[in-house]
Amino acid sequence: MEKLISIIFIYIFVENFVLQRFFGICPFLGVSRKMETAVGMSMAVVFVMTLATLVTWLAYTYVLVPLGLIYLQIVTFILVIAGLVQLVETVLRKISPTLYQGLGIFLPLITTNCAVLAVALLAVQNEFTLVEAVVFGIAAALGFSMALIIMAGIRERLELAKVPKALQGTAITLITAGILSLAFMGFKGMLTL
Amino acid sequence: MKTMSNMNIYLQDISRGIVRDNPTFRLVLGMCPTLAVTVYLINGLGMGLSTAVVLICSNVVISALRRYIPDQVRIPCYIVIIATFVTVVEMLLKAFQPKLYAALGVFIPLIVVNCIILGRAEAFAGKKPVLRSLFDGIGIGLGFTVSLFILSALREVIGSGTFLADTAYAVHVFGESFEPMAVFSQPAGAFIALGLLLGLTNVIFKKLKID
Amino acid sequence: MRNILRLTLTLAAVSIFSAVILAVVNSWTEPIIAERQLQDYLESVRLYFPDVADFEEKELEGNLFDLVYDDSGNLIGVIGKNLEYSGYGGPVVYTLAVDQSAAIVGYNIVSHSETPGLGDIITKPEFHDRFVGKTLEELDTVDTVSGATVSTSAIIGAIRGMTEAIAKAFLDYEEEVIDITQVPDGTYRGEGTGLKPMAVEVTVEAGRIVKIEVVEQDETPTYFVLSYPLIADRIIETQSLDVDTATGATFSATGIVNCVKDALTKALEQGGGEESEDDE
Repeated sequence: MEKLISIIFIYIFVENFVLQRFFGICPFLGVSRKMETAVGMSMAVVFVMTLATLVTWLAYTYVLVPLGLIYLQIVTFILVIAGLVQLVETVLRKISPTLYQGLGIFLPLITTNCAVLAVALLAVQNEFTLVEAVVFGIAAALGFSMALIIMAGIRERLELAKVPKALQGTAITLITAGILSLAFMGFKGMLTL
Repeated sequence: MKTMSNMNIYLQDISRGIVRDNPTFRLVLGMCPTLAVTVYLINGLGMGLSTAVVLICSNVVISALRRYIPDQVRIPCYIVIIATFVTVVEMLLKAFQPKLYAALGVFIPLIVVNCIILGRAEAFAGKKPVLRSLFDGIGIGLGFTVSLFILSALREVIGSGTFLADTAYAVHVFGESFEPMAVFSQPAGAFIALGLLLGLTNVIFKKLKID
Repeated sequence: MRNILRLTLTLAAVSIFSAVILAVVNSWTEPIIAERQLQDYLESVRLYFPDVADFEEKELEGNLFDLVYDDSGNLIGVIGKNLEYSGYGGPVVYTLAVDQSAAIVGYNIVSHSETPGLGDIITKPEFHDRFVGKTLEELDTVDTVSGATVSTSAIIGAIRGMTEAIAKAFLDYEEEVIDITQVPDGTYRGEGTGLKPMAVEVTVEAGRIVKIEVVEQDETPTYFVLSYPLIADRIIETQSLDVDTATGATFSATGIVNCVKDALTKALEQGGGEESEDDE
């Protein structure tokens, strides 16, 4: 239990996936322009990441390891994630068209969100148990969402600010992210696994 | 005469990848490894070259198979092809460059989801002939490597005060007593350094009227 | 229908092709990687035993040990890998190197959660060096550090227990045999270390151990329950200290045996007759 709580705290704050570990920077820069899209993306990521960690962990432990096929890890994981995203998209469209309206456009983007693959790989690498792995997936996704939503909030205000011409667009976003990351350095070393 | 113009196209493909379509500074793709591994120059170079190798190989194979892969399953096929090359690169690094392998860590398997590679497969290799895809891969791969070189050189010199640390050519740029600005080897410094470099390229490209 | 078949076949073909390539590359690089990891490990063993030429992995009580041999195949020491004990702040994982005379060559803390600035002295050379060269008997003389008493006594106890386990299992360690029949009647107090320091009272009547009572202990309760009644019964039954300590709680069990041994040794030294005073 103690370990699970540490995992949650560490991967939301100390080792924040976006601001400290640099996973999922592309969507972080890409969809943080508006709060609305940021929230949509966050929900989609939490959903897919949790599911992906669960499935890849099972695939690794019960298929790849017993068969001695660990070298197929990357291929398997990325295929599982791509398939999962496709499945979620199809199911969502059938079951809840409203939710699909909200999340649908973000789902294809998630396949190439490296945070998802990173969570799957790290869960196996850190030798987490199934429960720890799933909690790790949720925590990492929440950390990602938090960074994304904070960033969206800042960028909405940044629209009104006068930014030097050369720094407009991605440049100022990166510098803002840097300052945000600086703030998160305060959590450094607070907890380790 | 025809070979001459062909040559030109290929050269253009390469130079376009390095300058006008520079994946980092112009297309702003593949940001995760760009920010994560550029603490030391040697890691940045290693990552750049590994990505370039994967990109060139996948570009060629995808272009060669482009007529045989049905449109509906092209993305999964591309991903499998890319993942295969990534795994090969991972194994080779583990066997022959274990130090670099340890330094790059999980970012080697993450080359699979580097948007540059899938992006090139979609935008170029899936439509164009093999040779042009090869040169496009070389160009974009070099462009990525050059970008990582610039960023990691900057971060290493300012953040650690060294140049090419961990190699036979290591130099203390400002002498041993220099107190480096350690924030540049931290994640925060990565964002800020890349942001400033992006700003700088914007200015330069504007001055040179390239667009 | 034909279309779906074609899609599936293409994807399958690509996947199979990929698996074949990877299998080939893997079979080529795997031995190279294994060889390199072996060399790296030998390099780290060399820090403790410069003459290492070969090693053999053995398992004991769930822990892995490497028996280290020199060129001519002589056993020159033992390395315990990823050993664990519970320190002040939580589990501590360490590596322990012991030479063939059961003297400590060194240890290395792999991970710990002791208090920075106090308990983490266990990772510092000044504390580490207190152990270097100490034989099993001399380990009791290693001093704890005030301000970090729990952290330091925990590691001393752990290393002592582990060294003893290594000595018994791998090093043909010979211990003095205590002749119980020579011990005069009486109740004797003896001290020793299981996972934590502990004390027992042993009652001897007519040259036989009749009662063993643990009077002080701070063992993990579950382990203690596993070890105490069993070990006491075994000693009384066989009237020997050379009992099987395999109880599922080897440290606690060994600790009890050591306490009894300590009590009897003291009894013999004092010439006996003296009753230990009860605290009550």
